[in-house]
Amino acid sequence: MSLLAPLFLLGVLAVALPVWLHRLQTQSSERKPFSSAMLLETADQQVHVKKKLKYLLLLAARIVLLVLLALAFAKPFIAAPPVAITANESGTHLVVVDTSASMGRTGISEQMRAEANRALDDAPADALLQVVTADTAVRLLTPLTDDSSVARSALASVAPSALRLDYGEAISALERLVTSLPPPVTLHFVSDFQATAMPARFAEVIPAGFAEFVPHVVGTGEPFNWSVDFVRETPGGLDAGISGTGDRERIADVDLIINDTVVESRGLNQAGSQVLHFDSLVYAGGENRVVLRINTDDDLLADNNWYHVVDNDPPAAVPLLTLNTGGLPVTYLSAALESAGNYRVEPMMIGDFDPRILSRYRWLMLDEIGFIDQQLERALTEFLQNGGNLLAFAGDRAASLESLPVSGHRLAASRIEAQAGAFRSVGQIDDRHPVLSATEGWQNVHVSRNLPLDTLEGDDVLIRLENNEPFLIERRVGQGRILLLTGSLDNRWNDLPVRPVFVSFMIEAAMYLSGVNEIPKTYTVGSSLPLALAGSSSGQVVDPDGNSVLSLADTRREQQIKLNKPGFYEVYTSQGETLVAANVDPLESDLRKINQEVLDRWRDATGGPAQPGTTAFSAEASGTLDLWPWILLALAIVVIGESILGNMHLTLRRTERA
Amino acid sequence: MAPVQASRSNARDLLRPEVLASLKNLDLVARSVVEGVLIGLHRSPMFGFSQEFAEYRSYNEGDDPRFIDWNVYARTGRTYVKRFLGDTNSHLMILLDASASMGFGGPPVSKLRYAQFLAASLSFLAARQHDAVGCMVFDEEVRDYREPSTRSGKLQGVLHCIDSATPATGTRFDKPFDKFREQVSRRGLVAVISDFYCDIDELLAGVRPLAWHGQDVVLFQVLDKDELDPQFKSNVLLEDLETGEAIEVAPEFMRDAYPQRIRSHIDKLRKAAAGVGADHVLVNTSESLDHALRNYLLFRQRRQ
Repeated sequence: MSLLAPLFLLGVLAVALPVWLHRLQTQSSERKPFSSAMLLETADQQVHVKKKLKYLLLLAARIVLLVLLALAFAKPFIAAPPVAITANESGTHLVVVDTSASMGRTGISEQMRAEANRALDDAPADALLQVVTADTAVRLLTPLTDDSSVARSALASVAPSALRLDYGEAISALERLVTSLPPPVTLHFVSDFQATAMPARFAEVIPAGFAEFVPHVVGTGEPFNWSVDFVRETPGGLDAGISGTGDRERIADVDLIINDTVVESRGLNQAGSQVLHFDSLVYAGGENRVVLRINTDDDLLADNNWYHVVDNDPPAAVPLLTLNTGGLPVTYLSAALESAGNYRVEPMMIGDFDPRILSRYRWLMLDEIGFIDQQLERALTEFLQNGGNLLAFAGDRAASLESLPVSGHRLAASRIEAQAGAFRSVGQIDDRHPVLSATEGWQNVHVSRNLPLDTLEGDDVLIRLENNEPFLIERRVGQGRILLLTGSLDNRWNDLPVRPVFVSFMIEAAMYLSGVNEIPKTYTVGSSLPLALAGSSSGQVVDPDGNSVLSLADTRREQQIKLNKPGFYEVYTSQGETLVAANVDPLESDLRKINQEVLDRWRDATGGPAQPGTTAFSAEASGTLDLWPWILLALAIVVIGESILGNMHLTLRRTERA
Repeated sequence: MAPVQASRSNARDLLRPEVLASLKNLDLVARSVVEGVLIGLHRSPMFGFSQEFAEYRSYNEGDDPRFIDWNVYARTGRTYVKRFLGDTNSHLMILLDASASMGFGGPPVSKLRYAQFLAASLSFLAARQHDAVGCMVFDEEVRDYREPSTRSGKLQGVLHCIDSATPATGTRFDKPFDKFREQVSRRGLVAVISDFYCDIDELLAGVRPLAWHGQDVVLFQVLDKDELDPQFKSNVLLEDLETGEAIEVAPEFMRDAYPQRIRSHIDKLRKAAAGVGADHVLVNTSESLDHALRNYLLFRQRRQ
């Protein structure tokens, strides 16, 4: 006997309560001091024993009641032992049904079932059968059985998904499955055999361990299908890649839908690949649901909608404290950050800056740390202590100081003089750091001068020059952090601002210091969305049908969300909410088949050595018998018994008191 | 007449156990009891408590020298003491049972406390009549003993001996009676105060030699009202205070059979006492003390 919820057995501990109450009652009703027992006589023994027996029966009934109650909650069941199935001459016939998105082609479902049934018909009467489905994963549809009716009834429930099938991955999964099947194993593969589902290496589709490979091709005939290959945002508009295969005489319409409103329609009158340009589009503030819908009666309807999310949030303002709002550093920093489209640099004169507005920002930039006066230093230090972040550069003014404000680093003046005339490159990069992990090209940066600093305890040197001096330092101050580049941005100390790596560095630094991770907005159906990308390791996701993907308990744990349906997924985390789009893999839209020659080679190449004799266990025979209905029946009987005994107990007590 | 009645009434009130229990000083209790009893006996023709001269007898060790008749000594050169009408018994010996069963009872007083009041009152009454008073406190052993004496200050020692008795262990009558026979050879009055939860034959084996020796024995059987008429509504586990034995008894038994048993036990004791010439006085701790003292005085008078 096994239990589905064994933790409920802890409820048996409640038995202690009636035991204690009975004991308490026994103790409390008796024992008094008396001068002498010389003249006393024990109460009638028979009556006493009878009464005690009734009390014990009542106690036993109550204990049994509680035990049965706990047992019923624990849901006991008896699992019948699996029946061993031994190999015979006919071996096993494994029927694999392709359930990828391309199998949603019009009229193909009937063909699929007919072919699968034919595969079952072809199997010898004494062969063992098993039906599995294959898309991004292989799933067992039936247990291993010698009853073909079980397999046939399971086929009735097979439906295509929106997922992709790769034959190489499917065969790899089937090879793991075949080791548990009694040989020889014949593989029946019912599929449309898309050319795009073939792996790069043909050898990956040759199944090892199978005695025979029997392809069952469905969906014959020239396919006709329109699909969206991509949607790309352009300044003020969108580009959409459309592909059409098949009948050139048949046309289609394309609707551009923004936030459930059709804003533009186009007609398609020729097949082949083409790019549609949509200009002067007006988006609402925040995230916009954009759907590109192809209105046609083509063979595959699943790929006629393409979902895309356009983020129309205004760029975040980033203050840049400087002495010259028209200087080169302002130009370089503005150009780099605003290229991402998410940030807008606000240059501010250091002398005019009101420190009280610091609390409005998550982070700010300083093109010359040496210009900070004492009042601003105090304000910036408090800003950092409270969790703000700072990106600072150090130039000529900083070089004239003995130590840097805010960061507290001390300068070695002798090393400044020794740098004259020498060019250095970047020596070491900590590419595991989020700011640098996605940047490339630091080796092309030339540094003629840098601020030689003595690093402090707790400093994290992210970039060192070839002379081992720090070039980029991260230092935590309170709950915030400061990123300090030991060079200026005026194009005299180094050429970093004019190198491409500066743009990616600034964008990554902005994301890092602002604490906002950029989550990809578009996914392929079947891929996973780590909630951590949305800013928090836990949260809730609502699928395109409006259903919550995670249970309440799962929302507290880190989750990888499997996106199994095309459409918009709403992601809610502690950092806010966001929208992502999932689309059918464009590879599923290409309905062209692999060549017959390739299919013949595939079939002929299969037939490797059979697996050694295997004894399999039929899951069909291993049914379970739930015991809780019987326990409930017993519980009801015990409740009645307990009531009767309890009533007798009360009668006894009333008699005593009378 | 009314003031006299009120005075008597107040004195009798003082003899109630709950009133006596509030008096911490046993000496005061004894005085109160005796005065109260004697007020009740005043002018009664039944008792000759006058100091009327009765006879001379030779002085014995332990006699109060104040009663030596020095005139006779001057004439004869021998020491004689005067005896009065109330002085026919030369001493009173009190045997007080302080076994654990005597701790039962109350409120307001346990059997032992009541027995202490009784013993103290008897002692005070005897001393008032110039009898030598002694005391023996016992349970399974003789725990304390004061030999009879009429000397000044001896009464306080006897009262202290009585007052310091506390209930403990079981009861054996052979040891105190043996001790008494060893220590006291003169005739006198022996008051045994106990609940007498014992084998009657064993008790008689101790009392009989005393009676044959000429001692006047009176058995004060002290029982609580809950022993004479117990009230229980349900089964109860009664634990013997002396042996620790626990017996579960039914309320029906305690209501019907037990009172018969205790009465039978009392009757048996009374008959057995009468058989050896001893007297038996049943003392209910819920009743006032003068009842017991009156019985004592009646008994004393009969012996004179």
